[in-house]
Amino acid sequence: MMAIRELKVCLLGDTGVGKSSIVCRFVQDHFDHNISPTIGASFMTKTVPCGNELHKFLIWDTAGQERFHSLAPMYYRGSAAAVIVYDITKQDSFHTLKKWVKELKEHGPENIVMAIAGNKCDLSDIREVPMKDAKEYAESIGAIVVETSAKNAINIEELFQGISRQIPPLETHENGNSGTIKLGKQTAQTTRRCC
Amino acid sequence: MLGLPAAAPVFLGLQRVRMPGWAFPLLRKPSRDLKEATVVAGRGVDRINGIHAPCLIKTDPQPESGRLDDGTFPFSSQWFPDLSAAAGLWDRAPSCASLRALRFPPGGGAAAAAAARLASPTAAGSQKPLQPPLSARGEAAARRSGAGASSEALPARRSCQASHGPARPRLRLQGGPAKPARRAPPPARARGLSRAGLQAARRARTWSLPCAEQGAPRLPAFLPGPERDFLFLSAAADPDGADRAARRGCLRRSAPRGQAAGRGRDKGWPDWAAAPALREEELTGFFPEKMSVLTMETQCLDERGSFFKLIDTIASEIGELKQEMVQTDLLLEDGHTSKQSLEKDMSDVCPDQKDLKSFPRDSGYDSLPNKLSILDKLLHTHPVWLQLGLNDAEAMQVLQAQPPGTFLVRKSTKMQKKVLSLRLPSDFGSCLKEFAIKESTYTFSLEGSGISFADLFRLIAFYCISRDVLPFTLKLPYAITTATTEAELEEVAQQGLNFWSSPVNDRLQNPSPPRKPLPSDCIHKGFQQLCLINGVHSIRTRTPSELECSQTNGALCFINPLFLKVHSQDVGGNLKRLCVRTQDVNGLERSRSPPPRPPPPSIHSLLASPQLSRTVNQASLPETDDHNKHWNLYQLQKKPTPIPPPRLKKKALSLEAESSAKNSGGTRPSCNSVHGPETASIPGGAPPQQNLADSKKSLVAHSESQVLFNGGRQRLSDMSLSTSSSDSLDFDRSMPLFAYDGDTNSSLEEYEGESDQECMAPPLKPKKKRNSSFVLPKIVKSQLRKVSGVFSSFMTPEKRMIKRIAEMSRDKRTYFGCLVQDYVSFLQENKECHVSSTDMLQTIRQFMTQVKSYLSQSSELDPPIESLIPEDQIDVVLEKAMHKSILKPLKGHVEAMLKEFHVADGSWKQLKENLQLVRQRNPQELGVFVPTPDFVDVEKIKVKFMTMQKMYSPEKKVMLLLRVCKLIYTVMENNSGRMYGADDFLPVLTYVIAQCDMLELDAEIEYMMELLDPSLLHGEGGYYLTSAYGALSLIKNFQEEQAARLLCSETRNTLRQWHKRRTTNRTIPSVDDFQNYLRVAFQEVNSGCTGKTLLVRPYITTEDVCRLCAEKFRVDNPDDYSLFLFVDDTWQQLTEDTFPQKIKAELHSRPQPQVFHFVYKRIDSDPYGAVFQNDSHDRVS
Repeated sequence: MMAIRELKVCLLGDTGVGKSSIVCRFVQDHFDHNISPTIGASFMTKTVPCGNELHKFLIWDTAGQERFHSLAPMYYRGSAAAVIVYDITKQDSFHTLKKWVKELKEHGPENIVMAIAGNKCDLSDIREVPMKDAKEYAESIGAIVVETSAKNAINIEELFQGISRQIPPLETHENGNSGTIKLGKQTAQTTRRCC
Repeated sequence: MLGLPAAAPVFLGLQRVRMPGWAFPLLRKPSRDLKEATVVAGRGVDRINGIHAPCLIKTDPQPESGRLDDGTFPFSSQWFPDLSAAAGLWDRAPSCASLRALRFPPGGGAAAAAAARLASPTAAGSQKPLQPPLSARGEAAARRSGAGASSEALPARRSCQASHGPARPRLRLQGGPAKPARRAPPPARARGLSRAGLQAARRARTWSLPCAEQGAPRLPAFLPGPERDFLFLSAAADPDGADRAARRGCLRRSAPRGQAAGRGRDKGWPDWAAAPALREEELTGFFPEKMSVLTMETQCLDERGSFFKLIDTIASEIGELKQEMVQTDLLLEDGHTSKQSLEKDMSDVCPDQKDLKSFPRDSGYDSLPNKLSILDKLLHTHPVWLQLGLNDAEAMQVLQAQPPGTFLVRKSTKMQKKVLSLRLPSDFGSCLKEFAIKESTYTFSLEGSGISFADLFRLIAFYCISRDVLPFTLKLPYAITTATTEAELEEVAQQGLNFWSSPVNDRLQNPSPPRKPLPSDCIHKGFQQLCLINGVHSIRTRTPSELECSQTNGALCFINPLFLKVHSQDVGGNLKRLCVRTQDVNGLERSRSPPPRPPPPSIHSLLASPQLSRTVNQASLPETDDHNKHWNLYQLQKKPTPIPPPRLKKKALSLEAESSAKNSGGTRPSCNSVHGPETASIPGGAPPQQNLADSKKSLVAHSESQVLFNGGRQRLSDMSLSTSSSDSLDFDRSMPLFAYDGDTNSSLEEYEGESDQECMAPPLKPKKKRNSSFVLPKIVKSQLRKVSGVFSSFMTPEKRMIKRIAEMSRDKRTYFGCLVQDYVSFLQENKECHVSSTDMLQTIRQFMTQVKSYLSQSSELDPPIESLIPEDQIDVVLEKAMHKSILKPLKGHVEAMLKEFHVADGSWKQLKENLQLVRQRNPQELGVFVPTPDFVDVEKIKVKFMTMQKMYSPEKKVMLLLRVCKLIYTVMENNSGRMYGADDFLPVLTYVIAQCDMLELDAEIEYMMELLDPSLLHGEGGYYLTSAYGALSLIKNFQEEQAARLLCSETRNTLRQWHKRRTTNRTIPSVDDFQNYLRVAFQEVNSGCTGKTLLVRPYITTEDVCRLCAEKFRVDNPDDYSLFLFVDDTWQQLTEDTFPQKIKAELHSRPQPQVFHFVYKRIDSDPYGAVFQNDSHDRVS
């Protein structure tokens, strides 16, 4: 019996970089019975197998506008991972990304898995952020980095697989926020539901 | 050979309801004959349930005559509930289209009409209207179906006749020319028979024919479908899998998406299941003709003509089943199977072979009500066989000495699940075998079996009768089998585990040597005999391998309303009966029922008297109605029990096991208050049947009457998320937006038909009329009532458990009730004890978490929660119960306090001012660049928010918030197909919240944020709650934002703190913190008595308490006062160095709980003053 682990993933990044497109692509690309009926695209879930566990991503989208910046802590609290998205055609969005990383380092949950996604790689001819920059930066902070295209479904799956792999295998998460539930009755752990 | 699984009829009676609506298509009879079949079904479970079904069993001896006997068959609402709520649903459900598509497959109606034409030219022609319409649409549907049904009748009958031998009981069919006329189908349908329609009609006939030829109609199997909560009717008559697949596809389409599937498992009937019953609702009262219309229509829908055969089959199968049960019983009790009596019994089942006139209505059943059913016995004696704490070796030790077939249910540490440990006969090799019990989210089943049950008791009861995957049936100890009164059972139960080694067990076992459990072929043989006599097809037991009869691997699930009807009283009824008995025996004791606590300040009396306490009780439960009064009485009469009960049940159990030689009269940790020693040791006192009957009656009456007002809502409110305008119906009807707090709200969220709904209902009723967009005709309303009465009886174990816990929380004689009541009154009386709103909400949340963990460990719940609720659901159920027992009484107070805090710290004003500012902005200024809700939508959202305010459960509030968000999303997306993320959603949410202009939302959001079960905070509910909180803080800080374009750092800090709090609070402190309350009465000679709940820690001395009292009661000369203990009608002044909490604990733990009060009063006042005469208990002033 596979254990389901709920992982809260927070999406950060400037407005218009395609945060929700990435999620939509990820969630909807494959037909998946486990998708819970959702209210809208700002909260989505998807379950993917990882090793002998099932990872259920609870993906929290945030509003990227500056004025909502102050609300972000509410969204990233208790996250097991953060996907920080920038637009490879917009240098500004890469700056914002650095700000997010800084904030997460300071105020975010400990051991949060950070994944940097350079979106819109289908538009590499008008690229403003070189791949090298992103890679170097990601290395310096120990984050996953990948260039994606939500439009062409490039690297989306890989992005989340990368996160899955980085998640420590057992409930070593901060705050106990991402506990496990057994599908079966082997343990008396309480069920977690998503709403 | 019959393709029917042999055990099928048995579990008709043993399954919980998942889809109550389906019980009726299966068991309902369209004609009177089939009605009787229904009755037979009821009978079928008699032995298991102890139901005395009020109907007779017979089939018409002259099937061709078409004559109706006088319609005296008992036709009660509980047999034929309509799904009244479905009426609303029918009109409004978003999935209506698919519903109709399902019900009237392409050409279906026309096909039916065509068939009618072909078969009986007069059928369609001579029809007349019979009944006022419910609604235009519904009636049209009824008409269509009526036509369909009548037309189906003839082919069906033919096939029936073709396949039945002459000796077989015949079913008379309605719809032939001799029948009373029925309304004509709509002209368009009658005339416009398309080719497709004809083909469909032909197909309809061919569907039934293969079956007829095989003579093997299969019982329709309710298969859990992919959505799990929706049961699909596997086509009984389907000759091949293709048809079935097609049908299933159809059903799947019609199953509503969304939370109805996910969350409302016991209330969310799928639309398509509800729909057939709608017809019923319209037709009720016009049977039998109408009934026939109805069910034939169902048949046309489901089985295309084999329905009658099906029912017929069921009837006879159940007859056989009954034989089986009788046989088993006989074997168990008398040791000899009396063939004669069997035959006699059988003749009752199949009276078609006898003279109808000579057939006495109730023969063979009169004795039943006086007998305890197996289920009853199991419920009473669970302390004996349900030994969750027993380890392998202990179980072995116990069972070794027992005869084969003896069993225990325990929790295996190896497998980490419950197991059924069964003693095997010596020739089986090992003497013990364990059968793992599988717990799905909602059901219990044995590993390897396809049959699942609502709870453990049903599972065991079933396996006492049918072996299924077991090598043989379970065998109850002889002492239990032979017990004829509840008192005897109690006596057995009281011994708990010691029973097995007790002389009672031995002594009784020996004279009647352990009987070999019935081997299956014995039953088999019996069956064949039965079949011969019955003249119906034979039935055979199936081997485990045959059980895999469903396409999906899900368990079969059959529904029997009767069973559930009765069982709904189990938790209550069980308790009640015991109470009654207690009262009987302890005549004197009962007059001294313990007043929960000293009178509230408003009542000028001295110490509480029973009446007073009852008054208080009722006053605190304004929803009390007749039923509840009964309850309160019962509860008051109930024996007070020593508290606290052991908290570590498992430990206690194993201890007990070790000390098996211990005196059986000692305390039995696994047993709860109800089975207190006094209660249980009553020798042979037969329960007062009269009382029992009366109370049952009152229960029934209650369940029927309580529906008065909640009928429609009950169903509607659990509709899946929808943004169609219709989906606000449920809110429209509960529109009153003011004044009704507390209980009003609760009704919205409690589907179980609780008494509190009744009290809130009257004020609602006129509003309902005013606001609801469809007005139900009177006749329908009365039907609604009946129906909900039935529904309320379909309580799932979960709901029963919640109800039980809520009742317990009001009962101060339980430790749990004491905790809750003390805490609630403490909170209500000590407004100053919290420094901030969050502080207050936090403590409440903490308290709930603690009490939850207490309940899950304690043994106060009887039957234990593990036996009713699958383990992974226990926490969920407890959480709901906490809402009900703690948040519900506190809601009003918490709201008032929240507002007070918000006003005090200025956030109320700040929000108010900023709301005005924000409202003046246009959407673009707020960063909104997508379609926004218009005025109508905003109104709708407001209604939802107002409904939200009336809920006490944070979860339900969140559900409403989600609906609001869904609505916003629908508007945003506006069918564009675009997916919007938070970038777009949050501004819109802010805009909408501003437009709603509801200051109360702030408190609502806070309430949810702090009280929601922490495990839910990461999910969708948590997300949107966070968003709403964010939106509100944006609004609150709008001015600052305008100035600085940033939120002040203060807000950020608050958010961070909140996060920290909610995540660190998860370490659970002990429940002890909440035991630290002491209720002290303050007695003044001239002003009477007032009471306060004080925070008194265990090691606070009387001196300190006195000081506290002086302060609280504003006593000027504290030296004149002291703390007294009033117990046993005497006063004791407490010396300064005593510890009141210790005294209280000591008093609580006495075997014979006493009424006691701590009173703060003048030292010099006459302790035997007039106010404390012996009659003080009866005084209410």
